[in-house]
Amino acid sequence: MIVFLEFVARLVGWLVLAPLLPGIINKVKAWVGGRRGPPVLQLYYDLARLWQKGVVLSTLVSPGFIAGPAVAWVAVLGAALLLPLGPVGAGLSFRGDVLLLIYLLALARFCTAWAAMETGSAFEGMGAAREVSYAVLAEAAIITAVLALCVHSGSVSLATMLNPAAGAGAVLLAAGLFAVLLAENCRVPFDDPNTHLELTMIHEVMILDHSGPPLAAILHGASIKLLLFATLLVEAVVPLGGLSRPAAAGVLAAGVLVVTVGVGLVESLLARLAFRRVPLLLTTAFLLCLFALLVAWKGGAA
Amino acid sequence: MSPGSWLLGGALGHLAGMLASRRASRLWLPATLAGTVAALVAALLILGGDSPWDWRSGFSVAGDPLHLRLDGLSAFFLVLVTIVVGGGAVYSRAYWTDAAHPRSAAAGRAWWNALALSLGFVLVAANGLHFLLGWELFTLAAYFLITLDRQRGEVRAAGWLYLGASHVGTLALFAFFAGLAAQTGGWELGPMRERTELAPLFWLALFGFGLKSGMFPLHIWLPSAHANAPSHVSAILSGVTIKLGIYGLARFTGWLPVPAAAGWTIAILGVASAVLGVAFALGQHDLKRLLAYHSVENIGIILIGLGFAVVAAGQGTDAAGWGQLALAGGLLHVWNHGLFKALLFLGAGSVLHATGTREMSRLGGLWRAMPWTASLFGLGAIAISGLPPLNGFVSEWLVYLGLFDATRSAGPVAWAVVPAAILLGMTGALALACFVKVCGVVFLGAPRSAAAAHAHECGPAMRGPMLLLAGGCVAIGLAPVWVWPAVAQAVGTWAPAWAGLAAPPSLAVLGWTHLALAALAVTGVVALRRRTGRQPVPRHVTWDCGYAAPAARMQYTAGSFAAIITEWFDWILRPVRHAQAPDTPFPAQASCTSHTPETVLEHVVTPVGGAVMRLSAAARRLQHGRLEAYLLYLLVGIAALAVIVATDVGQ
Repeated sequence: MIVFLEFVARLVGWLVLAPLLPGIINKVKAWVGGRRGPPVLQLYYDLARLWQKGVVLSTLVSPGFIAGPAVAWVAVLGAALLLPLGPVGAGLSFRGDVLLLIYLLALARFCTAWAAMETGSAFEGMGAAREVSYAVLAEAAIITAVLALCVHSGSVSLATMLNPAAGAGAVLLAAGLFAVLLAENCRVPFDDPNTHLELTMIHEVMILDHSGPPLAAILHGASIKLLLFATLLVEAVVPLGGLSRPAAAGVLAAGVLVVTVGVGLVESLLARLAFRRVPLLLTTAFLLCLFALLVAWKGGAA
Repeated sequence: MSPGSWLLGGALGHLAGMLASRRASRLWLPATLAGTVAALVAALLILGGDSPWDWRSGFSVAGDPLHLRLDGLSAFFLVLVTIVVGGGAVYSRAYWTDAAHPRSAAAGRAWWNALALSLGFVLVAANGLHFLLGWELFTLAAYFLITLDRQRGEVRAAGWLYLGASHVGTLALFAFFAGLAAQTGGWELGPMRERTELAPLFWLALFGFGLKSGMFPLHIWLPSAHANAPSHVSAILSGVTIKLGIYGLARFTGWLPVPAAAGWTIAILGVASAVLGVAFALGQHDLKRLLAYHSVENIGIILIGLGFAVVAAGQGTDAAGWGQLALAGGLLHVWNHGLFKALLFLGAGSVLHATGTREMSRLGGLWRAMPWTASLFGLGAIAISGLPPLNGFVSEWLVYLGLFDATRSAGPVAWAVVPAAILLGMTGALALACFVKVCGVVFLGAPRSAAAAHAHECGPAMRGPMLLLAGGCVAIGLAPVWVWPAVAQAVGTWAPAWAGLAAPPSLAVLGWTHLALAALAVTGVVALRRRTGRQPVPRHVTWDCGYAAPAARMQYTAGSFAAIITEWFDWILRPVRHAQAPDTPFPAQASCTSHTPETVLEHVVTPVGGAVMRLSAAARRLQHGRLEAYLLYLLVGIAALAVIVATDVGQ
């Protein structure tokens, strides 16, 4: 019973807290720009409104156009439940769960890109192509980061992997994972979530033809993914394993807030990169993770 | 009944099928299916824990008594053979009918049985001579199946390339078995790990079996053969016959001692095949050619597992843990790839059957006319991209676990698995990109040609085998522990020290997680559909920046979708681009086409072959039929001999 209640609490936590992050980012951006900006809870209002609305579908789309966002949402939520929250542990933990997490995110990407291709629009094809292409480099960086954690902790399970965090290579790993976070969540400098010029977008252009509840599922899924990456980043860097439950929860929340504000600051202070440069930045992220791996190795040998 | 009698029944079924193929074609399918099921039962008995079946004949064939043997490893491969042979047989009744192909349909049926028989024979042969006989028979049977439609020039060219390349491989195998027989004093095959002097023979086996399996860079014959064969033949070629190369490698790395570098070489070739196979696939515009390159990729994943297992086997008991996982993953991927690649080729066959083209730039929007094919192909695409909750992820997950565990071992392995794991991850992401492209361009959007607009769904005889294969993909994905005993049997046969391998405890958890995810996904889809269906859904043309007259040709093409990635791999893909730029402010004509040739074939094999041909042509000038010149050759020869004798150079 306790286990069940805890699971429900975890589920509700992920579902309810996730949309907070984009609101905070927007607030930070507005503050840096000297504006008042939308309320922090704006995404909640948007989601509620979209859920009430009807949809308009393209004449070309198959039922997969609606199934895609649904499956992607489930996949991202499943990945989030696999992520342990400090001493509280994960909803489900087993040897090799970290690979399932990575591949669930890939499944979400497959479904989003599939739904984008449904419309037959050249813009959405373009966005899908960019999304799946740059993900190749992001995937390399994530696998390397996981290898670094695996070498450092001697485990292939997220719960034991993240307890001691990354040790000496933490700074390198944090920089690498932060770049991956920005790329995977379509933030500046990889992508601009605010632009309405289709030619320059990745993620936003894939969802041009979505409306109503499917769009709400996509937006909510994206916010869960952002929270997931922020949590993973904090846990990979800060060793929460030794702290008591309340302390760990406080540190985790503070860490996620720092990452979120960091994303907002990057978004305010940097311009979006030219597309040619995106692979370079992702390769840099990969190299940072690789150096973190080498540090982990050295630490193990010493 | 013993496995032997079931196997005999299987052989008789296929022989009966062969006899019935021309005159009594109605009996062909029942006979073939009965034989296939009998062989499947034999294989399942062995995998279920029966002791290996071993049989020697009193008579001799080609000078040696027949020695047949079905053990865990051969039974593991036999299961895959029977499933694809059975599914392909049903499919071919609707796909390659007597009405549509009066010249070749009957021959196709007979060769199908011949291929099944010779594949089965290779798997049970425990005598080098008979193994070679079976190997040659199955190569020839596959050749005749590839060239069923030999009125077309490209089919003949593909068949010729296949035949030539296969025989280069067979030549290496001749040398391998002859060397083995010379050193052991007989053609008998079996475990002989203690005879270390046999280790160098591994390189011959690697070349011969590697060529058959389509590993990079020996894959040159594979894309054209698999693309131009009839689709049910492509399914068995890609799903099964290339696995016989893996079978050969696994068999003889298990039975014979191997050089120290063997495992490393297999693993490196595996990584190269995986990454470059998918890179070449991304550059293709031909649906079946693209699928063929994915076979190179998946063979690479299997070889990564097998290669690190060979490394582990050479390192003693400490390495056993991760070696077993890598091998189990590699072997399970043999089944998985067989299932989803056969499914994808049968799906491609349905597309070809309905539209008459394999050119992706002429397809599009097929889901409307072919919902079954589109969904089953989509399922296969998810499986081959290694995504949960389907089978491709399970085997890749096992390989990953082996690689991750190996990072904690001592020595160079810990370093070597890092690039392997990273590149395996990139391969997965590239495969995902490629299959989003295929599904999007072929099945989604608007039809790009009249042929695609007037497509029709395939009949139940073609749908049934696809459903069977898709069911296999789902079953292994949701309940991987069910197939574990079979994998453990094969692993135990490969390395007796690893026998009785228990399933990793997390495998069962993974299966349950997959099940829960699948249930959740279905619930999510149903819920979202109901939510959107509350009120009538207005349909409108796709929004294209307010453009007034969107046309099908404005859609993103396969080439542009893959352009970002193919640019990264330009150094090896060497795509050929023909562009005619628009020249005036109101251009009448402008075009841009590109295609990716087979680099190894066109830039390595063809130039080398050309040089050999030129040298031979030059040497041929000596042979002109003029008697006086021949007398001169004799005279010069005798004079040279005399000089050698006189000057004592010979001593």
